[in-house]
Amino acid sequence: MLEHLWFPHDISTFGPQVDWLFLLIFWITVITWAAVMIAMVVFLFQYRHRPGRKAEYIEGNSRLEIFWTTATAVIMIALATLSKSTWAEIKENGPPGQVFYKVTAKQFNWEITYPDPDGNFGPKALTVENEMHVPVNKVVRFDLTSKDVIHSFFVPNMRLKQDAVPGRTIHVWFEAKEPGTYEIPCAELCGFGHSGMQGTLTVESEADFQKWLKDQYANQ
Amino acid sequence: MSSTAAVAVHGAHGEHHELSFWRTYIFSEDHKMIGRQFLFVALFMMSIGGLMAMLMRLDLAWPDTQFSFLKILPQSLQQDSAITANTYNAEFTMHATIMIFFVVMPILVGCFGNFLIPLMIGARDMAFPKLNMLSFWVSAVAGVIMMSSFWVPGGPAAAGWTSYAPLSAVPLYTGVDWGQNLWCISIIVLGVGSLMGSINYITTIINMRTKGMTFFRLPLVIWSLFITAILLLLALPVLTTALALLLFDRMAGTHFFLPAGGGEPLLWQHLFWFFGHPEVYIMILPGMGIASELIATFSRKPIFGYRAMAYAMAAIAFLSWIVWGHHMFQSGMDPALGQGFMLTTMVIAVPSAIKTFNWLGTLYKGDIHYTSAMLNALSFVAMFVIGGLSGIFMACTPVDMYIHDTYFIVAHIHYVLFGGSLFAVFGGIVYWFPKMFGRMMNETLAKVHFWITFVAFNCTFFPMHILGMGGHMRRIYNPTQYDFLKPLEPVNMFISISAFVLGAAQFLLLANMIWSYYKGEKATENPWHANTLEWSAPSPPGHGNWPGPVPVVYRGPYEYSSPESAEDYLPQWQPVEHATAAD
Amino acid sequence: MTATTAKVRPILAAQRRGGYRDGGGDEREQQFIPSGLLAVLMLIASEMMLFSGLIGSFLIFRMSAPFWPPPSLPHLPIQVTWVNTFVLLGSAGTMYLAVRAVHQNRQRLLRQWLVVTLVLGVLFLGIQGSEWVRLVAHGLTLRSGNYGGTFYVLIGCHGAHVTAAVIWLAAVTAVAVRGRYNARNAAGVERIAAYWYFVCAIWPVLFVLVYLM
Ligand code: HEA
Ligand code: HEA
Ligand code: CUA
Ligand SMILES: [Cu+2]
Repeated sequence: MLEHLWFPHDISTFGPQVDWLFLLIFWITVITWAAVMIAMVVFLFQYRHRPGRKAEYIEGNSRLEIFWTTATAVIMIALATLSKSTWAEIKENGPPGQVFYKVTAKQFNWEITYPDPDGNFGPKALTVENEMHVPVNKVVRFDLTSKDVIHSFFVPNMRLKQDAVPGRTIHVWFEAKEPGTYEIPCAELCGFGHSGMQGTLTVESEADFQKWLKDQYANQ
Repeated sequence: MSSTAAVAVHGAHGEHHELSFWRTYIFSEDHKMIGRQFLFVALFMMSIGGLMAMLMRLDLAWPDTQFSFLKILPQSLQQDSAITANTYNAEFTMHATIMIFFVVMPILVGCFGNFLIPLMIGARDMAFPKLNMLSFWVSAVAGVIMMSSFWVPGGPAAAGWTSYAPLSAVPLYTGVDWGQNLWCISIIVLGVGSLMGSINYITTIINMRTKGMTFFRLPLVIWSLFITAILLLLALPVLTTALALLLFDRMAGTHFFLPAGGGEPLLWQHLFWFFGHPEVYIMILPGMGIASELIATFSRKPIFGYRAMAYAMAAIAFLSWIVWGHHMFQSGMDPALGQGFMLTTMVIAVPSAIKTFNWLGTLYKGDIHYTSAMLNALSFVAMFVIGGLSGIFMACTPVDMYIHDTYFIVAHIHYVLFGGSLFAVFGGIVYWFPKMFGRMMNETLAKVHFWITFVAFNCTFFPMHILGMGGHMRRIYNPTQYDFLKPLEPVNMFISISAFVLGAAQFLLLANMIWSYYKGEKATENPWHANTLEWSAPSPPGHGNWPGPVPVVYRGPYEYSSPESAEDYLPQWQPVEHATAAD
Repeated sequence: MTATTAKVRPILAAQRRGGYRDGGGDEREQQFIPSGLLAVLMLIASEMMLFSGLIGSFLIFRMSAPFWPPPSLPHLPIQVTWVNTFVLLGSAGTMYLAVRAVHQNRQRLLRQWLVVTLVLGVLFLGIQGSEWVRLVAHGLTLRSGNYGGTFYVLIGCHGAHVTAAVIWLAAVTAVAVRGRYNARNAAGVERIAAYWYFVCAIWPVLFVLVYLM
């Protein structure tokens, strides 16, 4: 049980950067919190009321004030600066795609559209509900949209989350590093079927992937 | 001139008889009675909002299970004695809506704002007593409208308290019809009530201060309420716009938020969060003000950095207008905008840091009295820091990508809103109870309530961070539908049991208030030996607050343990007795 | 316990009637602006945010639309609305003259200018109303996409505000007819004037955005 009380196992290429930022903030906040709590507890004990004591009349201290204002500002601005490039890579730029899909959300399923064998999303393209198969170690790019309300494409094992908005096409990419099957829950409230709306992501070798794809076309 | 005198005499004549029951308790124009009315209504609403929470926790521990005792609830909250996907959505929507709009805002702003502003600035009432009464009644109507939605066909709103369009814009998507309409109407009406309230507060604070009560002698809680009123004044109209557009979409066939007709779903989110983020500070600033009062009083020390505290609140208020996008990082908004919102959100931690360190500074070398009010105020600081620090995780866009819409957010919400706002409310109730009702609250019971609440609160909400890190989505009624969440079910169970304890503990508060109201020890004028002006009035103050002339103010509000005085406090209204030798 | 001494009762009664303007003999910090006017100014601030929300929404649709108005829908009546704009701006001018009259204690002039302002306000509403009727007849309704939707919501919201201002002004005029205002008791006129200026000032913004742009 204990091993579950942390992040799910990460299989994406950008996951380690996300986890690293999480840990960085984790330590900054834990240290800040500990400092605040230690100071508080020490003061609470040291300066507790005893008969005859009188508090010292201190109205403030501008130098301290300036110190903690700038210290916090520096930490926060540094943190924002550090996070910029990771965000830009995941959501703005990213590597060129190698495999392309369309993903359309609807109440309460994911429709995954695979291009036809010529690589087009024409009438022969294949649409499967809730089953996303991708080859391992390939950059997957897909156009995400929705047919009705807002949903959110979430793969906990990849730290990836992106809302699917009707009327908008959003470009998403990821690269999975490890074969296996993972869940794709919907993370944005989308109605009474929100709980339970999920797909599976199967990451497999290129060969297995091609075979699966061929079978699907055959069944179509 | 003579006409005013005539009016006065005529008025005096009219006052010979005690005001009727209706004018005293129901349609009262007295700011203190209106404050109490807000308190009672909000506490009642808290039991409803709390009940929703209990139902949610019941379901999350034992999903899809039938409990025969649920039968007593209306059909909109249970189906066949079980909590289903449908009713669960309605429950968290109403839980958050009630807690935010009908519990925290009415207590902090409606109750404490009304009760404290005139008393603490030295006025006999608000600037516009009639408007004040109207403000309460308009809010009450809003509450009735919201409550009535439990019984309409289709049940109450079920699109989350954020009511994201298009989900909320088309009845078919949620299966909720009039519930969502009533939700919109109720909050529009509430907006009107709170507009009246904030106009009153701002005018009163600007224009009705007693002689000597300059702006920089105002107690910090008044500063906080002043700033909160400005935020309310400017934030709620934006929500009103959004709600009106949503209602048009639902009822008049427009397509503002519906992409099929050329609408823009993200517009709703922008409007909602442009209101929503200032809203969360509306709910914390008065809490910060209350904590400042309590910590200074029970440390017997001036607040550390009074001006820095006031400026920090103003800075928070200002910055709160430019961070709304941090709720929309994953929404499909241009990711480049996310970079900007990340920076502004990070910067908003700075004024909060100023506040936190100044509270610590106030404790330093103080003479700390552990009353239950003080315990609540201290836990406000500790819990707000945890909630605030968890906000930093979400402010970081890549990290938010993972924790957005998970229980990490739910943990944050409750650390700031329960750990922050509600602990301040509990502290404020114990502290001002004697002034409100003329009797002290039972200190032992208050301490028992505090400790159980404190422990149960942390057991309930701290593990939610861990759920969030495990990827546990919010707003799902049955986590066992997901393989990756199954191992976390024991955590959910633990949280639920703690939550029941937490809920049950609130009965202690209720019991203490009721018992003390009738049987509590009679309060003197200034039981805490505090400095601010409300403690110069009788407990409870009668009509007009002071039997004689309104006291004049000679100094700032936090002259505790001043060398000028032999006592460890020096009230604002006390004239300097000996001509001081100093300059 | 809660007994109020005889001394405060008259004060209280007077205050209840007069809205606590000067605290009935208590000492106070100096007031720089009368409470009533301050309240109106804050109401205006709040309304400005309301309009900002609507204008912001309008701009989002306006900017992203390839055609505005969409081909099948009628254009908005620009000429008449130019006239109407001058009607409303003119009423701001006459309102200013009314305020000046009351400060100079000139009762008749006050009444005259208030009535003229009122007439101009009603005229504005009348012209707007008849244009709306024509537009609806031409097929522009609330449901005509976001072009129709934003038009009616935004202009309708302004119209509702003018209506409210007209009703308020009518009440003030009725009081003025009874000669209750003078140079020392001008607050009632000043309050409606502030609100009237606001309603007039927001119009040119809407006119440019909705009709001309
Ligand atoms: C009282 C209410 C309140 C308050 C005060 C706050 C305060 C803050 N909030 Fe929170 N927030 C909510 C109520 C509140 N929030 C609610 C209700 C939601 C969810 C809405 C929904 O979706 O339903 C939410 C959601 C929310 C999100 C969106 C998450 C998501 O949906 O993905 C974000 C993202 O940035 C955020 C950030 C912050 C930050 C940075 C602060 C900061 O103001 C905190 C600042 C305080 C501190 C940082 C602690 C004290 C400082 C120090 C001790 C100094 C040293 C610190 C450092 C060096 C780091 N909040
Ligand atoms: C001020 C705000 C506030 C307060 C005080 C609370 C208090 C509580 N909240 Fe809430 N909560 C929110 C604001 C608040 N919450 C918001 C904004 C959301 C987001 C909603 C959304 O997603 O749209 C949320 C969501 C939320 C969720 C997530 C739902 C989901 O996403 O699926 C959960 C789950 O456990 C929860 C639990 C609780 C509990 C156990 C309490 C307890 O502290 C309550 C304790 C009870 C009382 C204080 C009252 C006393 C109770 C009674 C008198 C009733 C009878 C008692 C018994 C049967 C024992 N809340
Ligand atoms: Cu789809 Cu939630
Ligand atoms: Cu926010």
